[in-house]
Amino acid sequence: MAADKNPSGSAGPEQAPQKQPPSKEHKKKKDEKKDEDLSDEDLALKQQLELYVERVQDSDPGVQKLALESMRQEIRTATSSMTSVPKPLKFLRPHYGTLKEYFEKMPESDLKKYLADILSVLALTMSAEGERESLKYRLLGSEGDIGSWGHEYVRNLAGEIAQEFQKRQYDDMPIDALMELVQQIVAFHMKHNAEPEAVDLLMEVEDLDLLVEYVDATNYKRACLYLTSSSSYLPSPDDILALDIAYTIYIKFEDLASALRIALYLDNIQYVKQVYTSTEDLLLKKQFSYIIARHGLALELDDDIVADESDREALQDIVNNAKLSEGYLTLARDIEVMEPKSPEDIYKVHLIDGRASASSSLDSARQNLAATFVNAFVNAGFGQDKLMTVLSESSTGGSSGSWLFKNKEHGKASAAASLGMILLWDVDSGLAQIDKYLHSTDNHVVAGALLGVGIVNCGIKNDCDPALAVLIDYINKEDTIIRIGAILGLGIAYAGSHKEEVRSRLSQFLGDPKTPLELLVFSALSLGLVYVGSCSEEIAQSIIFALMDRSDTELGEPLTRLLPVALGLLYLGKQESVEATAEVSKTFNEKIKKYCDVTLMSLAYAGTGNVLKVQRLLGICSQHLDKGETHQGPAVLGIALIAMAEELGLEMAVRSLERLLQYGEQNIRRAVPLALGMLCISNPKVNVMDTLSRLSHDADADVSMAAIISLGLIGAGTNNARIAGMLRNLSSYYYKEAGHLFCVRIAQGLVHLGKGLLTLSPYHSDRFLLSPTALAGLVIILHACLDMKSVILGKYHYLLYILVLAMQPRMMLTVDEKLKPLSVPVRVGQAVDVVGQAGRPKTITGFQTHSTPVLLAAGERAELATDKYIPLTPVLEGFVILKENPDYRDDH
Amino acid sequence: MGQGTPGGMGKQGLPGDRKHDGGDKKEKKFEPAAPPSRVGRKQRKQKGPEAAARLPAVTPLSKCRLRLLKLERIKDYLLMEEEFVANQERLRPHEDKSEEDRSKVDDLRGSPMSVGNLEELIDENHAIVSSSVGPEYYVSILSFVDKDQLEPGCAILMHNKVLSVVGILQDEVDPMVSVMKVEKAPLESYADIGGLDAQIQEIKEAVELPLTHPELYEDIGIKPPKGVILYGEPGTGKTLLAKAVANSTSATFLRVVGSELIQKYLGDGPKLVRELFRVADDLSPSIVFIDEIDAVGTKRYDAHSGGEREIQRTMLELLNQLDGFDSRGDVKVILATNRIESLDPALLRPGRIDRKIEFPLPDTKTRRRIFQIHTSKMTLADDVNLEEFVMTKDEFSGADIKAICTEAGLLALRERRMKVTHADFKKAKEKVMFKKKEGVPEGLYM
Repeated sequence: MAADKNPSGSAGPEQAPQKQPPSKEHKKKKDEKKDEDLSDEDLALKQQLELYVERVQDSDPGVQKLALESMRQEIRTATSSMTSVPKPLKFLRPHYGTLKEYFEKMPESDLKKYLADILSVLALTMSAEGERESLKYRLLGSEGDIGSWGHEYVRNLAGEIAQEFQKRQYDDMPIDALMELVQQIVAFHMKHNAEPEAVDLLMEVEDLDLLVEYVDATNYKRACLYLTSSSSYLPSPDDILALDIAYTIYIKFEDLASALRIALYLDNIQYVKQVYTSTEDLLLKKQFSYIIARHGLALELDDDIVADESDREALQDIVNNAKLSEGYLTLARDIEVMEPKSPEDIYKVHLIDGRASASSSLDSARQNLAATFVNAFVNAGFGQDKLMTVLSESSTGGSSGSWLFKNKEHGKASAAASLGMILLWDVDSGLAQIDKYLHSTDNHVVAGALLGVGIVNCGIKNDCDPALAVLIDYINKEDTIIRIGAILGLGIAYAGSHKEEVRSRLSQFLGDPKTPLELLVFSALSLGLVYVGSCSEEIAQSIIFALMDRSDTELGEPLTRLLPVALGLLYLGKQESVEATAEVSKTFNEKIKKYCDVTLMSLAYAGTGNVLKVQRLLGICSQHLDKGETHQGPAVLGIALIAMAEELGLEMAVRSLERLLQYGEQNIRRAVPLALGMLCISNPKVNVMDTLSRLSHDADADVSMAAIISLGLIGAGTNNARIAGMLRNLSSYYYKEAGHLFCVRIAQGLVHLGKGLLTLSPYHSDRFLLSPTALAGLVIILHACLDMKSVILGKYHYLLYILVLAMQPRMMLTVDEKLKPLSVPVRVGQAVDVVGQAGRPKTITGFQTHSTPVLLAAGERAELATDKYIPLTPVLEGFVILKENPDYRDDH
Repeated sequence: MGQGTPGGMGKQGLPGDRKHDGGDKKEKKFEPAAPPSRVGRKQRKQKGPEAAARLPAVTPLSKCRLRLLKLERIKDYLLMEEEFVANQERLRPHEDKSEEDRSKVDDLRGSPMSVGNLEELIDENHAIVSSSVGPEYYVSILSFVDKDQLEPGCAILMHNKVLSVVGILQDEVDPMVSVMKVEKAPLESYADIGGLDAQIQEIKEAVELPLTHPELYEDIGIKPPKGVILYGEPGTGKTLLAKAVANSTSATFLRVVGSELIQKYLGDGPKLVRELFRVADDLSPSIVFIDEIDAVGTKRYDAHSGGEREIQRTMLELLNQLDGFDSRGDVKVILATNRIESLDPALLRPGRIDRKIEFPLPDTKTRRRIFQIHTSKMTLADDVNLEEFVMTKDEFSGADIKAICTEAGLLALRERRMKVTHADFKKAKEKVMFKKKEGVPEGLYM
């Protein structure tokens, strides 16, 4: 811009200095008064600078050059305090205008560029807001080393570039010159530990790709960390881009485990495969497989990934979670909790003073059912308990099913299925033990056993597909309960696997208008689980048709609310892909239309943190309904599902839910405790705990029951003493009310889930990755709990077993290169957010040193306390393979 | 107030769980069971009234886009909340109903209400209270009283006849402390300080910058200094600088004189210190300025009188507040004294007071500047040559210079002149120097 004017200005460089003096003189007079305030050195400096300014306007290029050089020297050497402007800059301020004027008149030369440099620096303090003169002169200047003018200058320049970029883009002007400068600045920032600033600038000018060139081995980690944590707050296409760049950088620096995490976050199979093929290290590949197994991704390893047959099998075994049970039991043995616990150990009746003993008087069938669930949850995965397995081994004969037959009808189904939970993940012995119930004459027992088979296989894949082989025969039996057991079993066993056989068998029920409603619902749920997040058109179509075909009365059934959930599961976390289906859902029957719409949206955006969707859901909640519609419940749950993506949204959502509680009507208030439970699952935050405790005494039975279950959810697998105490008190408070008592028992079971070794949180890997199958399981439970009385307290209590999908050991187990457990000291402490912090801050605080295997609570992080080994993954969670450190030297 | 009665707190803390349990059972008898208050209340003293509603902390403190995005996210949620609440209010106006409720509650409370003290909570609905006149009563707590805020030792409102608890008096701040808050900024600004450039810069870096730009310290990875001590000869501008800080800052400025911390009754001094820092914390960011710290901060020694021991205890409390177990967040401390050598070393150790700023007697340049400041508003005769006083060998402090100027002005007034002459200044100087030497004529005992 300024360059254009130069030709005309170049005619009169000679006159310029002559014109200047008078005004100069005048100014000096005024200055004199002020000068008196200055100390001698300052005065000298000021006069010196004034001299330079005059000399710059001299006609002799030699003098000019000298003056410019010395002026530059003065500015550069000025050391400033934090609080004030450097003195040379301060003294040059009055001359900024003069220099600017003169600059315009100067002929094109090196000197002019010099002057431009200096003007650029002066503009730092002088230029008016929005004029971007610093940038303007910088572009005209000599393009020397940008860092030589100091950090503040670079920072200011970066800010101006961002503004200029937007303007130029708006006006469609070329940006090449800008980009050159951007490159310089980025290189400077990268060298000076200011990765966040470099990344910010590149994001502003929409050219993140450049980052890949400028990061080096020392700072790529910080840059990537910044990128990944920014990604959860960036608007839609940018977040994926940021993660893509992070992935590229990780691949470039061969930090493959980190790359894999991003690939999994992006749900990009191509990337996952690329990670595998980028290394030849089998051990590293094994570590990848552990991470994938924890995530629950059904990955078929092929020849491209591992050439060798036996290696591939070993890796596939890990991906299939075949060793999960073994690892879990190692952990249990190490922590010494193998001893089975009975429900009474959990209830701890002796701690309740007063009327406790009276509580056993009513409804023993329901009591026993509750005990079944508590027993199943507490002893999950241990392979032994005091109700189901113990007696079968003793020789009393015939008593093997004695506990089983203390339950009535559908209660027996749950009892039989609980065996599956106890033997969780242990496919071989599990199937053997369940087998005998399959031959029972009691339909309920058979159904339970079928469900149990599914539960045992949850998350475990096996080449010969034992679950499929067993269950497939039963889905066409006559008895409905048996069929339900088999169908649900299939859904649990093959969740997330996209298994074609399951689809072909189950879709027949969806297509058949004569299928009983409950069968229809469970088939849809199972398909939803198996094809979770697949966006499968075909299944979506068949569920939609089923929803359209059914009569009004059938749609009014409480169980029907799970059909939209099944539909939503297909699009879990897939955002826009849901839109076509959501359009179709608008044509549904009045009764289910809105419910379906809200459910689909909340599931499709689950775990994205999308604020706009939260706003829409809150908008739905703020309406007042008169016709007894039920869609506000799922809207509240949706807020929780969407907002749980990141910590900040989570905490703010808790706040918003508080408002809902304050203003909302009954159907909203019922869902709020469940939403709180979802937000803080397996993470007992004190404020949430307090809110739930308050709600658990609510006058409305549905609210209080939901609050009680949610207390269980937030404490799931933590053994939290405070929640346990609250629940004990609640059990004596509600001793007369069967429904509430049942909920309290379930919650107690959940708090002691797996004796405190398990978690229900769908998030893992430093709360970065979201396991879709785990989330799917939780969503179904939450929706089922929206109508507690008719679903969980009715005859569909076995739905609670769907929680098994979310159960994962919250352990950190270190293994050596042969995958044998290896005990090393680790520090476990509260995780600290280190993004964008200076230096090398500690990643954990308040740590304790343990030796592995250890348990990790929510928000905790582990790091190795020894240099002897190197972990193959940056995030120490689940199975971690340790390699010997070749540089390690023992001090002793 | 809560800290004032540690005994009561302890007693309350222990049986919290069991007590709650008992409350449940009691409520069970009356049919519409009111939700009881949360378990384990009272022990945790919540900071501020809406600890639950506090916004989450945003982690990278340095200015970067991530921080911007995070803050925007919080803003989005707050906007949504606002929208929601506004919607609800619009759809279902609360006013009339709440007004009605309020009047009902007022009826129940009765009037006048007497003010009393909560001695102990018995269970959910009963408490032992005492009024100022003497006897203690076992009374019931009305259901509309927020039980979460009740704690032993707090001031309560009682019904005038049945003495049941009908309300809580919220204002817990010791009136002594609220007086210390500087409501009106002093007129002196940094421009009114002659010289002391280095001192100004140091105090800015140590006190103002950490409050306004915490990210600078975060960037470099250090903890900002907690406090400074200003020391030097009398009249060198310590208090003046503190005034200038108060003038320029937007943070809460609390000022105390060391002697104020010495109280008549045992334990009152330390309590005042505690209260002072608690208020500072509540109103943070804030600056606490304690002038003449030597009143409480002298070296510890075997004290014989109870009074001295009390003063030392006050200092110990001060030590604890400066760098004790609880972290002081955005509270910066400025101490001032002219006898730094007599202060207790524990008070001055880094971590408590990180920076010691000395105020020397002014040198010639500063002296000239101070003379200029003071004479700028005076009408001077043409013959006045201030350089003579500036260059003198006598030791002047800033206050002395001010005294000279004032004295010279007074002399001129006495002679009904409109201008101050050089002779006035000379006389004034002699007078001031004479007074300074305690009226002892030079060379009397030589």
